[in-house]
Amino acid sequence: MKIKWLESFQKDQQQKVSAELSDAYDFDPRDPLFGLPRNDLEGPVMSRRAVLRLLAATGALTAWHMLPGTGIRPAAAASGGTLTAGWAGVGEIVTLDPAQINQVLQFQIASNVLSGLTHIDSDLVARGDLAESWQVSADGTQYNFNLREGVTFHNGDKFTADDVLFTYNRSRDPKQSIHSRAISNVKAVEKIDDYTVRFRLKSPQASFLVKSLERASGRAMTIVSRGALAKMDETDYGMAPVGTGPFRVTYHQLGQGVVLEKFDGYYDPERPKLDKVVIKPIIDTEPLAAALEAGDTQLIGGNPVPAELLDRFQSNSDLVVDIVPGPGFQSLWINPWHPHMRVPDFDKPLGDLMKEKGFKVRLAIAKALDRKRYIKQAQFDRGLEAFGTINPAMGFFFDTGINETSNQAFDPEAARRLMAEAGYPDGKGFPALKLLTTPANRRESQVVANILKKNLNIKIELDTKDFPVLIEDFDAMRWDLVRIGSGGDYDPDDGLVDWMQTASKFNGSKRDKSKQAFGFFSEKEVDQLVSEQRVVTDPEARRKMVRKANQITSDKVTCAFLFHPVDALVHHKRVNFPDVSRIPGLVDLDRVTLS
Amino acid sequence: MQLATDDASRVDSPEDVSLLRRSRWTDWWLTVMHDKKALAGLVILAVFVFMGLFAPLIAPYDPNDMEYEMLAPPSRSHLLGTDDLGRDLLSRIIHGTRISFFIGFTTVALALVSGVFLGLTAGYYGGWRDHLIMRYIDLQWAFPNFIIAVYMVAVFGTGIFNLTIAISLAYVDDFARLARGMVLTIKQEPYVMAARAMGASNTRIMGTYVLPNATAPLIVQATVSVSYAILAEAALSFLGLGVESTTPTWGLILAEGRSFISRAWWVGVFPGLAIMLTVLSINFLGDALRDFMDVRETQDLM
Amino acid sequence: MVTWIVATLVFFMLRAVPGDPLVAMLFDVGDPAAAEELRQKYGLDRPLFIQYVKWCGLLLQGDMGRSIYGSRVPVSTIIIEALPRTISLALLAFAIAIGIAIPAGIIAALRKNSFLDHATTLLAFLGLSMPDFWLAIMLIIVFAANLHWLPAIGYVPISQGVWPWLKHLILPAIAAGTAFSAIIARMIRSSMLEVIKTDYIQVARAKGLRKNTITLVHALPNALIPVITVMGIAFALLMATTVVIENVFSIKGLGRVLIQGILNRDYPVVQGAILVVSMIFIFINLLVDILYTVIDPRIRFE
Repeated sequence: MKIKWLESFQKDQQQKVSAELSDAYDFDPRDPLFGLPRNDLEGPVMSRRAVLRLLAATGALTAWHMLPGTGIRPAAAASGGTLTAGWAGVGEIVTLDPAQINQVLQFQIASNVLSGLTHIDSDLVARGDLAESWQVSADGTQYNFNLREGVTFHNGDKFTADDVLFTYNRSRDPKQSIHSRAISNVKAVEKIDDYTVRFRLKSPQASFLVKSLERASGRAMTIVSRGALAKMDETDYGMAPVGTGPFRVTYHQLGQGVVLEKFDGYYDPERPKLDKVVIKPIIDTEPLAAALEAGDTQLIGGNPVPAELLDRFQSNSDLVVDIVPGPGFQSLWINPWHPHMRVPDFDKPLGDLMKEKGFKVRLAIAKALDRKRYIKQAQFDRGLEAFGTINPAMGFFFDTGINETSNQAFDPEAARRLMAEAGYPDGKGFPALKLLTTPANRRESQVVANILKKNLNIKIELDTKDFPVLIEDFDAMRWDLVRIGSGGDYDPDDGLVDWMQTASKFNGSKRDKSKQAFGFFSEKEVDQLVSEQRVVTDPEARRKMVRKANQITSDKVTCAFLFHPVDALVHHKRVNFPDVSRIPGLVDLDRVTLS
Repeated sequence: MQLATDDASRVDSPEDVSLLRRSRWTDWWLTVMHDKKALAGLVILAVFVFMGLFAPLIAPYDPNDMEYEMLAPPSRSHLLGTDDLGRDLLSRIIHGTRISFFIGFTTVALALVSGVFLGLTAGYYGGWRDHLIMRYIDLQWAFPNFIIAVYMVAVFGTGIFNLTIAISLAYVDDFARLARGMVLTIKQEPYVMAARAMGASNTRIMGTYVLPNATAPLIVQATVSVSYAILAEAALSFLGLGVESTTPTWGLILAEGRSFISRAWWVGVFPGLAIMLTVLSINFLGDALRDFMDVRETQDLM
Repeated sequence: MVTWIVATLVFFMLRAVPGDPLVAMLFDVGDPAAAEELRQKYGLDRPLFIQYVKWCGLLLQGDMGRSIYGSRVPVSTIIIEALPRTISLALLAFAIAIGIAIPAGIIAALRKNSFLDHATTLLAFLGLSMPDFWLAIMLIIVFAANLHWLPAIGYVPISQGVWPWLKHLILPAIAAGTAFSAIIARMIRSSMLEVIKTDYIQVARAKGLRKNTITLVHALPNALIPVITVMGIAFALLMATTVVIENVFSIKGLGRVLIQGILNRDYPVVQGAILVVSMIFIFINLLVDILYTVIDPRIRFE
């Protein structure tokens, strides 16, 4: 199956979305938040117009939610039964405690067990979860949440405002949670009464509802049980956390998997439909496929389904394969401090930069990357060519034309010319480069090495290291080239703030600062654009800044971008996975039924 | 331990020993020629060695060229088909012979030399040397070999060199134990006693009497170890700790192709067949060697 | 004593492996301060020697520490949970190996140089020469993916029923036991051959005892003596195999715990697991020694 249709589809939908957006933008442009009257923004569920605007502002707007028939549909009447799911590429689920979760495959499960104040739906819109409704102050720094009443934890405790405070205090303590940084913009949380809390922010934050308060990917404000934590130790709670979610953990042993059972006291009596969910971690590829084909498992969650299996699954009439754009980018990073690729200063016009030898080599590498071929060989044709951090799942911000406008656009002739101008005609005199990669990424790194060899006649040797070592080398800038990327990027911030700014958390945090002024990239204009787009409230203006920053980082080769992955959900025909639960990256099972 | 020392015990000068050894090799050669299994093994190994030596001349394509259709079945242009990255499988297997054999034989050679050195020292001199070396051997023995190899690769990283060291280190104790056992037995033989009484130096005694008489079981152990080393390399590749793909080994080709076997049988069958044939041949040869030298079966596991 | 040296060695050897578990764990969070907080909390910021003394102290109280990752499960829990999985797998693999090897070895010995002998020899060598992960995947493709007879992954404790337990272990045990059965079959064959040659069997034969009686009552027990010696080594071999097999079948046994621990630099887990594995090793060898004296009264401990 080709993903090509996606591009034309998106161009098409882009116009529709823009039209609807401009329609939604018809009044009060001075409103400090999103130019919306507060009534529109406030919950239980935001108005469609507000949804579009907010989505656009948080980068979560995709062409996908414009698809007909993706609204909430009542699930088929059938309920009960046991679903067995294989969790791909993992041997054990080491924790389900939101304070410790550091992998998507973990919060995929936690999302079924614990609740948050908000939860994104299939359109990536924040909907009330434990928050029934909310009001936002005029300056966008105060959020009042009206909490759902009559919610109980799995242990029978009542959920109240105190639990929100408890969770907040636990999460902001770096000794208890690894996510304290995620809520550093919160100044204070106050309890108004048992069912009302107020969050006061340091500065307006467009992504607050979708990122910080989200129950699955957010983690920092995923509500944990005070009562249970008083009795259980860190470990027991991590293995079987007590929450207010649709399922409760009844069994969890490392390596054996997790058993979830229906929680009868869930606040929505209609959910969950299933009686029981058995989650089995599966390490290797062939057993993952065999278990599904034999019917031992009926659904695959966990790490992305290996691309080489998708053809096989799609040709199996018993299986359903549902593919949507995935939120992320994968790339090849080029060390600007390498003597033959040296670019010690990116703060000059592109034209001047293009005259430097080091930059010519960088650009040549980026231009020589035949992404179509890479996606075909390394990803079995599943993926979209990437030229920036902004991914197609972020429909509104994604620039469909960047494959033509980017300086990195594939052009082997120009790439060879650049190498020759830099003093390495036909790769002569250019040293062999080491490409740092993990054992898991070895296969695709070979494809990268081969493509560069073919197009530039330069030699790339793989340097395979375990993840803990690779990360140390990456942080300390001890590499020539490195194959690394980002996933779970729902907001432009996830790409731009995390990777593209001089102060980014990944930008050579452990380098020798006396010799290297920055890590892999530093550019003043990008720094400024990225900082401004974070707080700007007008989506159109934000989009302009995001796209500009994206274009500069692409043109100046922050890295050679490779591809945006797809998100594939694979399950048996007899599993009904309703569209409303189809959230990229998540596996919410509360509405899933078996027939 | 019962050993084939009857012939040697009658020998009292080094010249005779080498003569005797030469004639024993000829005998062995004759035995092999009469043993069909051993002969088959020898021929197969010879073919593989030839393939490895002249790989660039024989291989129809560059083994790292990804220019061909991915997972294409065996055809006239690609006799064994192509792999998941569109590389010619036959060419990869031919080139893989080199690295697989290199790793197989080098690891065992390294382990043999260092193990025999330790074993001889410990067994011959006894005393604190023996004590020290035996403690080391006990210690290493308490770790499963494979775990040692994994640990070594974790410390030094992947690559042919590191892999060879890692696997060979894991086998040192086997050879040391065996060599020590042999020395302890041979040391008591009258001819060694006699040589010592006649004032021969330690090195001379070791080189002329002890070592040649310990060769038989060591060689048997070594042949079996070569096949284990080839399999160990495959297992490390399976765990993602093998060599890099540009210098393929059979184990790596197999490990890389493992998720495609059900879709493209050739990526699983041919490299697997190459490993099996080699290990089989080595074992047939080792078997003939063992029968000839009359070494008891237990020793290959001690 | 050996255990203590092993423990010490493992402790310091592990710290020599490059890679920081906390940095890896908190990579996505991108918060160096958080890593430092955790380092302090877990006591990993203190001098190595202090860490070692503390670890030894806790170890004496039976506390092996906690995993660095996720919910920080105690190492003892991880090992206690993993042990029955590895032991089940090893025992079943051993049973399958013995079950195939004894009849095969006897038949081969009794019908020396017959077609049956050659066939079993060939089969034994084939079993020896297949990479274990490859055999495992082949079994999965045939029996799980296509025939749907047996599950492809997982382990079910025996407390949930013998059949579910067995059902999940059959494929892994076959994959792990095949190579081993080949080794034992070869050993039984050769030791049977030797025993048959001995005087007392000839006497028994002369007395006109039935052939089957001779084989089963007189020859076999004696032929098994060397086999028992190998059982200690068997565990070492099985351990290497189970590491790989556990990975293929997603069974979190000791091997998987070890490999995962090494790759993640989860120090406490690796230290604990290696300690336990070495202890089992030493214990099994003690057991073998005792068993040996029981079976063969001629052998005495010095």
